[in-house]
Amino acid sequence: MTGDVVALAAAVPDVALLTDALGRFFQPSTFARLVVEGLGKAAVYFIIAVGLTLVFGLMGVLNFAHGAFAMLGSYLGGILVVLALAGGAGPITSIAFFVVVAAVVFAVMTVVGGALEVTLVRPIYDRTPTYQILMTFGIGLILEEGTRIAATLRGVQPEPPWLKARGTLPGFLETQYDVLGANVRGFYVFEIVLGVLVAVAVWLFLTRTLYGLYIRAGSEDSEMVEALGIDVRKAFTVVFGLGTGLAAVGGVLLMWDPLWGASVLLNIDVLLYAFVVVIIGGLGSFKGTLVAAVVVGVADSFTTWLFNTGIVTFSGLPEVTVFLLLVVVLIVRPQGLYGVEEVGGH
Amino acid sequence: MIVAFLVYPVVYDLLGRSPLASEAAAFLPGLTFMIAVLYLGLFAMSFDFVSGYTGYLSFGHAAFYGTGAYAVVLATNGKIPGVPADMPFVLTMLLGAVLAGVLALAMGAVSFRLTGVYFAMITLGFAQVLYELVRNWGYVSPNPSEGATVDGGALEIGVPYVDSLGLAVGRLTGDSFENVLGTGFDVSATMTSYYALALVVVVCYFAMQRIIHSPFGKAMIAVRENEERAEAVGYDVFRIKMGAFAMSAFFAGIAGALFAGYSRSVSPESTYFFLVTADALIVTIVGGIGTLAGPLYGTVFHEWLGDVLSTEDDGIATYLRETVPEGLLTTDVGGVTFADVINSVVDGRAPLYLGIVFVLFVLFVPNGLLGTVRDRLGGTVAERTGDVLERYRR
Repeated sequence: MTGDVVALAAAVPDVALLTDALGRFFQPSTFARLVVEGLGKAAVYFIIAVGLTLVFGLMGVLNFAHGAFAMLGSYLGGILVVLALAGGAGPITSIAFFVVVAAVVFAVMTVVGGALEVTLVRPIYDRTPTYQILMTFGIGLILEEGTRIAATLRGVQPEPPWLKARGTLPGFLETQYDVLGANVRGFYVFEIVLGVLVAVAVWLFLTRTLYGLYIRAGSEDSEMVEALGIDVRKAFTVVFGLGTGLAAVGGVLLMWDPLWGASVLLNIDVLLYAFVVVIIGGLGSFKGTLVAAVVVGVADSFTTWLFNTGIVTFSGLPEVTVFLLLVVVLIVRPQGLYGVEEVGGH
Repeated sequence: MIVAFLVYPVVYDLLGRSPLASEAAAFLPGLTFMIAVLYLGLFAMSFDFVSGYTGYLSFGHAAFYGTGAYAVVLATNGKIPGVPADMPFVLTMLLGAVLAGVLALAMGAVSFRLTGVYFAMITLGFAQVLYELVRNWGYVSPNPSEGATVDGGALEIGVPYVDSLGLAVGRLTGDSFENVLGTGFDVSATMTSYYALALVVVVCYFAMQRIIHSPFGKAMIAVRENEERAEAVGYDVFRIKMGAFAMSAFFAGIAGALFAGYSRSVSPESTYFFLVTADALIVTIVGGIGTLAGPLYGTVFHEWLGDVLSTEDDGIATYLRETVPEGLLTTDVGGVTFADVINSVVDGRAPLYLGIVFVLFVLFVPNGLLGTVRDRLGGTVAERTGDVLERYRR
């Protein structure tokens, strides 16, 4: 453990820089910029994590293939935008096309997710949760390698993000805008808008539709729901499909994201972040996931800023902060911020 | 089974000189891969020791492997205060293992308040924090995200401070012996490393085996089967879990130290990263969770697949390229030639096939290789072999 001490000692800032930076930090423009950036990140985290939490809440399956679904979504979306937008298009056309692409990818991946659930996950419900973790992990592994092979065969580098797909990001989202006195890249605002739309849609689905009712009831007590004559297995398939679709939509967004981009590395990176969000929020809780996504997103943007300004010289700060958040929440409140105590243990 | 591991290098060497040389090189794992089987197998066994026997999935197990590996590298480079740089490898290995055990006690003290998925996640969280710290810790090497290397000469496995009882190991270095005992047989440096590492792994295996068959091991299984009942019967469940976790971390630390000592370079990706644990998990399932030797066979399978599907040590791809007629190789089907297919579908594609095999195992062979064999025989292989042979003798 001496390692950590030295690492932290090296990370201690020098005083002059600190006071200077603190001065800048409390300028409203910096603060607002960081919050908007954080919310933009939070929107992506939310879109991806909400599917994970719904699947867990209803089925008790911790889906290790979730990151792979997001990765697949980013490539599918990338193919579509490259085919259509590579020649360049106006702002409204590109946004409209993006929405269409997201919808198509959502539909395709929902079907794929549902099919995977029926063929591979359904046969092992009666086993211990470990086997469901293993099964989804195996699915993720196959999807990652399959994508790697397909990408390489088509002459696309699987590992640094796919630049051609990201290049289709329309210019007006690339430029900086003045929001509340802060300089913010247009893409973050776009992410926030999309995140809010998805959150509202999922919330409406959960509270205003019959299937949403089944899902909420099933998360509370799936045996009771079954006893009432509702086909819980069908609900499982629907939720798994929807979770897959949502992850893929998040992936489509990541394809344009200046910090990510479509690559097979998304599989593990996205998966780990999604886990952190759902665990902090409480497994199976919609509200918790929303709050946790905001917490993680804002923490991420603030710590990234701390490193970029040179106040903290430790380059791994954002990642360490995020995982420390996970550990601390699990120690202080094991069921997460809004979780129910019985969920997740066995 | 141990005999198979003992004679393998010799058999492989002889096959290499026989008419079947190219087939052997293509379809059998090379010796360097078998050495990887040793330390990765030990790591997988230590993972199975806690996850398979107490039922607590240790998703941050890579942290202990990494601690063992980095302890050896740092100690050998004289970077751990109070540890002389010329300390024998066996002692630095034990130092790393003890550090890993202590780390496990610290992690376990907070983690064992949780169960199920939450336990898996908190250990994963700890391991990822350590991974990020090591990745960015300039003290390790000038370029910490790339890892660190061992300076100086080859490390020795053997009795510390007794030169004649030590064997230098390491990739591309180490002791070699020619014309051993006048038999005309040469022991290459790789083979020396293989046997020296195997010695440590066998000792660790028997130690773990001993623990599992002790009353403490039975208590571990009781925790897995029904923790509440074990507690009600009067076991101090928390101490059993902590003990199992620390011991498993100790052996994971030794595995990491062996890896560092042999490969002479470590990187955060090959030690602390989540995927290192995931590999151990995969081979544990393929080999049989809850059977100590199972993960070792799972690792053999994993490494065999990795070897035959890569060209590093003459795998299937090389074999096909050399034996398939030229005409077929360049046959063009829709713009894709057979050679392209070999390049993209066979060469270096082990993870794909491993994933498929893994999913099939989860679906159809949930007890893994060894577990299924035991179910068929109705007992452990050692117990039943005599009876089975007896049946065929008549």
